Amino acid sequence: MADKVICITSGKGGVGKSTVTANVATALAMKGYKVVAIDADIGLRNLDLVLGLENRIVYDIVHVVEGVVPPEKALVKDKRTKNLYLLPAAQTKDKSAVKPEDLVKIVEELRDKFDFIFIDSPAGIEEGFKTAVTPADTIIVVANPEMASIRDADRVVGLCEAMQKPEPKLVINRLDPKKVARGDMLDVEDVLQVLNLDLLGVVPEDKNMVSYINRGEPAVLFEESIAGKELRNIAERLLGKDVPIPRWTYSESFLDKLKKLFGSE
Amino acid sequence: MGFMDKLKGAFGKPPAKEVAKKRLQLILKYDRAGLPPNAVEAVKEAILKALEEFPFIDTSGVNIHITESENTKGKIEIEVPVKNG
Ligand SMILES: Nc1ncnc2c1ncn2[C@@H]1O[C@H](COP(=O)(O)OP(=O)(O)O)[C@@H](O)[C@H]1O
Ligand SMILES: [Mg+2]
Repeated sequence: MADKVICITSGKGGVGKSTVTANVATALAMKGYKVVAIDADIGLRNLDLVLGLENRIVYDIVHVVEGVVPPEKALVKDKRTKNLYLLPAAQTKDKSAVKPEDLVKIVEELRDKFDFIFIDSPAGIEEGFKTAVTPADTIIVVANPEMASIRDADRVVGLCEAMQKPEPKLVINRLDPKKVARGDMLDVEDVLQVLNLDLLGVVPEDKNMVSYINRGEPAVLFEESIAGKELRNIAERLLGKDVPIPRWTYSESFLDKLKKLFGSE
Repeated sequence: MGFMDKLKGAFGKPPAKEVAKKRLQLILKYDRAGLPPNAVEAVKEAILKALEEFPFIDTSGVNIHITESENTKGKIEIEVPVKNG
C-alpha cells in the first residue's frame, strides 16, 4: 500500500495535527486495520492525551532510540479500539533526541506488522519536522482557514518539495460554516486557490471537540460529532473510497446583509 | 457602530475572506520566491536610478515582476523598453 506511512504536519502549531492523527488512526482501527500512531513531538507529548492513554505509558520513543527496548515493547495498546497502538513521545527530552535515521529505522521495524503507520509531527519547520517527514510516503498538511496557518502550510509544502517528498495532501480543519457563509472566513475554494493542493478533507469547527479531548475520547467514536463524521470520511478516502468532500461556500444573501445591518446577529 | 457604518460594512466593503485571499496570494508569491515583500519596489527604484543616464531608454515603460523559475527559488523579470525614434 502506497499510503502506509503517513505524516501529519502543518508548520503552525495548534491547528489540529494531533486531533487529526488520533481520530483518523482510530477510525481506521475501528474498521479492522492494524494501526500505530507515532508521536514525533518530542518534549511536547500530547497524542497520548487525545487518545486518553497517558496513564498507560511505560516506555517512549527515546527509549527505543537508545536501545532500551525494541519498538514493539514500547507500544501502548489503545483501551477501546482493538488494533490501535501508540508509540509515545518522550516528555523530557528535546527534539534532537530522535534523528531522521532513527525514525526511519523504527518505521522499518514496524512496517510489516501494521497496515497504517501515522506520524504526528511537531510544529515548526526545523529538525523535528524533518525527522517526522523523512520516513513518510504520504504527507498530510493540516491548515486552518486562516492567514498565518495557510502561509505556514505553504512553507511546509515548499520544504517537502525540497526534500523530494510527494506533494502533501491538504486537510482544512476548523472551518466554521457560519463564518464562511458570512464571508468572514476563507472558504474551501479560496484556500485551494491559494495553496493549490489535493484536498483530502474539510473538518468543521466542532464546539464539542474540547470536551472530547478533555475526556480522552476521539471525536470519531461519537456518531453525533460533526467533526467526527468528516474525520471518519478522511479515513475512508485514505482507503481509496470516493466520499464527497463538503464544500461550504460563501453565500451571503441579501437577507443576511439586512440582518447584519440591523444588528440581529 | 453607526447606521451608516453598518450600511457601508454590509454593502460597500468587500468580504473579509476576499481581502484575506488577495493578501495571501501576494504574500505567498514573495515567500515562494524567498523575497521580502518590498523587494520588487526597492529593486525597481535602484534600476530606474541607474537607467536615468541613458537617454534612449523609456524609463516610464520599465516593467518589473516576480515569476516562477525552474532553477532558482524565484526570478525577478525586468523589461527595459528602448525609446521610439
Ligand atoms: N475541528 C475542530 N473543532 C474545534 N476545535 C478543534 C478542532 N480541531 C482541533 N481543535 C482544538 O484545537 C486545539 C489544538 O489541536 P491539536 O490537535 O492539539 O493541534 P496540534 O497538534 O496541531 O498542535 C485542541 O485544543 C483542539 O480541541
Ligand atoms: Mg500536536
